[in-house]
Amino acid sequence: MSDQKPLRIVGQPVERADAHAKVTGRARYTVDLAKPGMLHAKVLRSPHAHARVVSVDIAAAAAMPGVRAVTTGPQLAEWVAMPVYGYFIKDQPILAMDRVRYEGDMVAAVAADTEAQANAALALIRVEYAALPDLPDIDAALDTDAPDLFPETPRGVVPPYGQGASAQLWPRKNVCYAFRYASGNASVFERCDHVFDDEFRFSRMNHLHLEPFVCVAEWREGDEIEVVTSCQNPFPLRKEIARIFRLAESRISVKVPFVGGGFGAKNNCKTEPIALVLSKMTGRPVRFCMTMEEGFLTNTQHAAVLKLKTGVMADGTLVARQSHILLDSGAYSDASPLVAEKAGYRVSGPYRYQHVESLCECVLTTTTPAGPYRGFGGTQATWASESQIDMIARRLGLDPMEMRLKNLVALHEPWMPGESGVDSDMAEGLALVAEEIGYDRPRDAAPGWSRGRGLAIGFKDGGGVNKPAQARVKVSTGGDIHLMCGTVEIGQGARTALAQVVAEILGAPLARVEYLPLDTRYTPFDQGTNASSAITVMGQAVQRAAVSVRNQVLQMAAEHLGTDAAALELEDWTIRHGNEAHPLAPMIMHIYGGTGFEFTGDGFHKQANDHQAPLETKSVFWEIGWAGVDLSVDRETGQVKIHALAVSGDAGRAIHRLVCRGQDEGAALMGLGQALFEQMVYDGSRLINGEALMYRVPLAEDLPDRFTSILQEQGHGPGPFGAKGMGEGTMLPVPPAIANAIEDAVGVRIRDLPLTPERILSAIVAAQG
Amino acid sequence: MSLISKDGALRVAFTLNGRETTVETVTSRVLSDLLRDDMNLKGTRVSCGRTVCGACSVLVDGFPRAACSTFAFEVEGRDVQTIEGVEAPDGTLDPVQAAFAAKSAFQCGFCTSGMILLAKSLLATHPDPDRATIIAWISSNICRCTGYELIVEAVQDAARAMREGPKS
Ligand code: FES
Ligand code: FES
Repeated sequence: MSDQKPLRIVGQPVERADAHAKVTGRARYTVDLAKPGMLHAKVLRSPHAHARVVSVDIAAAAAMPGVRAVTTGPQLAEWVAMPVYGYFIKDQPILAMDRVRYEGDMVAAVAADTEAQANAALALIRVEYAALPDLPDIDAALDTDAPDLFPETPRGVVPPYGQGASAQLWPRKNVCYAFRYASGNASVFERCDHVFDDEFRFSRMNHLHLEPFVCVAEWREGDEIEVVTSCQNPFPLRKEIARIFRLAESRISVKVPFVGGGFGAKNNCKTEPIALVLSKMTGRPVRFCMTMEEGFLTNTQHAAVLKLKTGVMADGTLVARQSHILLDSGAYSDASPLVAEKAGYRVSGPYRYQHVESLCECVLTTTTPAGPYRGFGGTQATWASESQIDMIARRLGLDPMEMRLKNLVALHEPWMPGESGVDSDMAEGLALVAEEIGYDRPRDAAPGWSRGRGLAIGFKDGGGVNKPAQARVKVSTGGDIHLMCGTVEIGQGARTALAQVVAEILGAPLARVEYLPLDTRYTPFDQGTNASSAITVMGQAVQRAAVSVRNQVLQMAAEHLGTDAAALELEDWTIRHGNEAHPLAPMIMHIYGGTGFEFTGDGFHKQANDHQAPLETKSVFWEIGWAGVDLSVDRETGQVKIHALAVSGDAGRAIHRLVCRGQDEGAALMGLGQALFEQMVYDGSRLINGEALMYRVPLAEDLPDRFTSILQEQGHGPGPFGAKGMGEGTMLPVPPAIANAIEDAVGVRIRDLPLTPERILSAIVAAQG
Repeated sequence: MSLISKDGALRVAFTLNGRETTVETVTSRVLSDLLRDDMNLKGTRVSCGRTVCGACSVLVDGFPRAACSTFAFEVEGRDVQTIEGVEAPDGTLDPVQAAFAAKSAFQCGFCTSGMILLAKSLLATHPDPDRATIIAWISSNICRCTGYELIVEAVQDAARAMREGPKS
């Protein structure tokens, strides 16, 4: 169907479905919601990185004006069935039980008539702590003398893995999860002409989504609950809430309006359990809105140490790679096991090897828990991998671009044994960015400066592992289209793209499609808005639902007209049969009687289970980002001036070109910040720049002189009309491309992020001896 | 004139989106809370709450101000414009809004109210701004989503549309 007819809506420059709401300020987010009688929650946070909680006295706080409830971890037993949560490992307490594990860990919660009253009450809660030694970083946590952050091992699960992959819970002290992957035989190292060992460090960023973590929770009469929340994965959240409160999922309504950014942070429990407890205690709706400073204490990216050992032939042919990655998981496991899986799996990058072996461990430290972050382990892996590929090329006297081209996995070639074929021609993308930055042009520079160019490829499996998605399309008698699915509109344009798919299939104008509000009680099931999965996974479910409705309508019309459905076309809620036009509304009224009818189509998609695939399902698609950088370095100061940054992603088929462009550019600029300056700075276990003024994020003035994003549409995607997912790929290659260009310019290699002038200058000075 | 009583209650008279407005409030009230919580004008977004991100930008006498860090009493006698006052009374979008919509110069939309007001202020003083000027102005606000490039282009488009006047 899609192949024969020219597309009317898909790929066309239509206005985003949320454009009017967002440019007029009418869009409503969770943070805008208020309910009658609503209370405000605030929490008391630990000033210690690691301590035993000896006692908590809440009496004075509870007596304060406006205060309706105060609670602490040990008191939760009265209100919850399970006081802990987590993805694979249930280790994070709703409120600290007997121990705090990072500065900012939540100790007590207050609900009051106003936020000011709640804050005033917090000041009167007296907590006695007995300090314990802290574990500020990976080295400290792995030290033989380090205290155990969890003397009693929390329970967890390891999911099933396929060919070559495995994992273990709590393999050693302060390590909550270890993922391993291996393919081929390590003996090939012996045949290599060279083996290189290199170590890299990756600094962590905060998500800095502008809408804070916020929810409004209401525990209603008869144990029915409603949570409106700024969240990326309402269905898994529902499951956690059901488990925490031992309540049927059918009694829980999780609703998600527009979300003001997430970048991974808004997965799983954040504000919701505390707000629900306080609502249950008071019988009133409770709003829990964290400040941006609290956001810094809630979830972050993973800092990492990555050790790579890579064997190569003298001509640059890659042979084998062994990797050991240590992720700084912060105080609780959160999504660390999943991130470890991805970092460990992706670390060999887009190249062909005879042998790969990786171990990725999640190390618990007394810092903010690390969780999902755009790129999901791929960012850390790409930083190390693409840096080392360049270093090896230079050591062998080869051009880094040539060496990459020599080793890239080809289009349609399985990436690893049992995996799906790579669905982009990676050489094509590399050539595009190289051309755009003038990779081969002379390296002219201002006096005192040196010019350099660098390339990198970000490579990750996309679409999520074991990710089911369901969708429903309903069309009423008059042709009004209802689209129901669990993809959250977090800015990525999902409402628009999915509505475009439906409108295209049903021959309807885009404005006819209404994306219904998300409520877990009525919206079909979805695993979550993550892994760039909306268009490839949910898109296929939506496509099937729409095709089902279309077929039902055509079938009904064919029977009514006494012809074959294949002879009919559906266009603007009218059946076309040759030169005849039959409006559908009167036909439906005629067939079903005066009250009319509603056509309902359901769609489901899930990548098939496959034990030959390392992660139990083949990758849905491959998300690839190419980057090229042209820069100069001031040899006196270590200052970097970026002349051009070119990135490219392959949308397979762009459903909406500007939306794709925005995703690629937003991701690339996040990568630029990561490369040059953005990081959470710790003094021991204390975060010292955890607020907006001190924490530097990219601004418009940080844009390179030339910033180009090249949207490819290679056409090999599994999604509707050949689409692939977008939105993470172009973040990955930017930091290594910049580090590679710096080495090209001044001959020094920086292995630690960010690439600050101080680091570059001291490397230049050291190299001069 | 504002009248402050002993308990901190006061009356503030100002122009809000073209209308004379008087509110009873307290000395500690900031403009963003006054707009959002007392007047239900939720289009002004609050993120950092400390004059850094610009999500809460409103125009006071035509220039951007962080509503999160402006006391309500500071707008006594002034002209305040919020995102709700940008479109024409008949609902026609302002050229800046139209350009942001057409260019998809937003994603999550949380910075958009502030960015649009910032751009309006820029174009009121610089009808034909060059790229460097646009970048200098919008660098006062954070957008975590877009990478800014589409915002810069939308501002350029809006400037062009405003110079050329309404299409016949
Ligand atoms: S919320 Fe006012 S400047 Fe950030
Ligand atoms: S669109 Fe999300 S912050 Fe700008």
